[in-house]
Amino acid sequence: MNRYLYDGTADGLLSAIAWILEEEPCPEQVALAERKDTLFEEGFFIGTDATQAEDLLFRLRKHAPDAASTLYSFMLAEKEGMESSLLHYISLVFTHGDKVNGYLTHPAVRDIVAVAKKAGRELHRMKGLLRFEKLRDGAYLAKMEPDHNIIHPLAWHFSRRLRAQHWFLYDVRRRIAARWNQGTLQFGTIEQFTAPALSEDEKKVQALWQAFFKTIAIPDRKNPRLQKSNMPMKYWKYLTEKQEE
Amino acid sequence: MSALLRSFFLHYISLMDILAKLQILSGAARYDASCVSSGSKREGPACGTGNTSSSGICHSWADDGRCISLLKILLSNDCQYDCAYCVNRSSNFVERASFTAREVVDLTLDFYRRNYIEGLFLSSAVMGSPDKTMERMVRVAETLRTEEQFGGYIHLKIIPGSSSELVRKAGLYADRISVNIELPSQASLQRLAPQKHKEAILAPMALIGREIASSLVERKTSRLAPRFAPAGQSTQMIIGASPENDFQILRLSEGLYKKMKLKRVYYSAYMPVSDDNRLPVLAAPPLLREHRLYQADWLLRFYGFSAEEILSDDAPNLDESFDPKSAWALRHPEFFPVEINRADYGTLLRVPGIGVTSAKRIIAARRFSAITPEGMKKIGVVMKRAKYFIICSGRSFEKTDRPAALLRQQLLIGDSSEPVLPTQLVLPGIFS
Ligand code: SF4
Repeated sequence: MNRYLYDGTADGLLSAIAWILEEEPCPEQVALAERKDTLFEEGFFIGTDATQAEDLLFRLRKHAPDAASTLYSFMLAEKEGMESSLLHYISLVFTHGDKVNGYLTHPAVRDIVAVAKKAGRELHRMKGLLRFEKLRDGAYLAKMEPDHNIIHPLAWHFSRRLRAQHWFLYDVRRRIAARWNQGTLQFGTIEQFTAPALSEDEKKVQALWQAFFKTIAIPDRKNPRLQKSNMPMKYWKYLTEKQEE
Repeated sequence: MSALLRSFFLHYISLMDILAKLQILSGAARYDASCVSSGSKREGPACGTGNTSSSGICHSWADDGRCISLLKILLSNDCQYDCAYCVNRSSNFVERASFTAREVVDLTLDFYRRNYIEGLFLSSAVMGSPDKTMERMVRVAETLRTEEQFGGYIHLKIIPGSSSELVRKAGLYADRISVNIELPSQASLQRLAPQKHKEAILAPMALIGREIASSLVERKTSRLAPRFAPAGQSTQMIIGASPENDFQILRLSEGLYKKMKLKRVYYSAYMPVSDDNRLPVLAAPPLLREHRLYQADWLLRFYGFSAEEILSDDAPNLDESFDPKSAWALRHPEFFPVEINRADYGTLLRVPGIGVTSAKRIIAARRFSAITPEGMKKIGVVMKRAKYFIICSGRSFEKTDRPAALLRQQLLIGDSSEPVLPTQLVLPGIFS
């Protein structure tokens, strides 16, 4: 079995896959892994070529839009050690097109789709669970610590929803921030984060939301298990309604 | 209430701050079942896989596990009417409160900007008169849309008896409007909600149906034609406060879907709120019945069943022990076993334990190769119930020809009690 290596970047991964699909008669028999530069590492290194990577994405989007969005979600997961599965998955996409996502009896398809689904699910969840706080200068800030690197699609979602506001998203663990102001969306990293002061009425609005949250539940139908399975506790840290508990 | 007490009370209300009002008026709305995203209500198999509804993002889950996606409140609970089954009825002594239109607008915006909610779900008791109430509700929606450029979701409840002018206006600003049918028959309505008349409920329903239809037609010729309640019309009825059986209820729902083109019918288990002797004495709200009705409703809307297939005059109530699809399957052994690799979508959907998602997955997977029994697990089909009803390329999972009685036992594992069918009085339906 032929074994290939790439440099560990997303572009590197995609260009390596593009190269293998081009050169290998049987891509499904091939393994691909990140180069670790260990002494006995075996494999042929494929250099990164950003235009190759872009070209692959372009062809994928044209050929199989659903699979392209699966790939996109998969990349948000920043998963290591699944390069070979991804290679086999993409190779299947080019032979079967979009219906490949239904080929769940194939191990590579199952693994890639499962990871992509999980990332997609967290993205969907965060669209609801993200909480903004109003700052003294009138801008809004939302902090989060998601498992997947979802700040880009999340910011895009809010750029359409909260168009009229000036806001920031901040991924606390990855130290990445997004900023939306007057129609432009920017991304950057933050080295030192200092918590800005809240606007005067912020605590009042939060208290209203907490009161609503409490009263809307039917008292004798308490179901903490269902609540936690829908809204896992790892997200509670930044949830306004869960701050008092 | 004496006049003095009443005026003291009213004074107190006007001084009440938003927080206190919010507590009263969201508490009063909590039993309203028609939440657009009732993803946690486990409404039949399709929800079991964690689907959220079309319009929706859940923003939180309350302590009872239900999804919160809208600011669901009453504009007022200060009701002129005296419906026997309702906490807010005028003869009941509860704390009363009313919001101004501006207060609701501000709450909605403050919550929406912080991403607490998808939008507003506004309902109300009859405050003064139907028109006076409806006028204030419409003003909330109008202010949000025109002054505040609010693009979020708005659901307005129509107050029975309000003028068609206001109903029309409501539909122009709201995404969804609904008129509660309240009770499944006119006789029950007359008995328990004497101030509400069948016409006051059905007339706006029909009007809304016509407006939605004509707006769709107009929008085909011009994209600029106004949209009327683009998310459609829904309704709600209370289950267990009146003697109708499940068959009558399902036939009513079927009629509402087919004739009135409703998007959703919500069922709300009656919560005992008074010892009025017109009402049945219930130890607990009939939640299992509500749940079974949602499952049966699901079969009507997505699985191609008719009310007559699910129930009949001889067996007019849903089985307590089995979901309606399993119950149907048990009555129709001749339909099974279903061959997974050949059956069409509609047939797959009739298998207990196979929902919309699983049926689609099976069809997608068998394009590549025949599905083996092991393959069924790999594509994520839950086999617990399905295994008694299917074969894969001629191979069966369980003996599929066991006698009905044994099969019932198998499906009920751990629970050997025979289902008890409650007998209920029969009254004519509201469309009769
Ligand atoms: S009109 Fe509505 S709020 Fe008033 S008593 Fe009847 S059901 Fe309750």
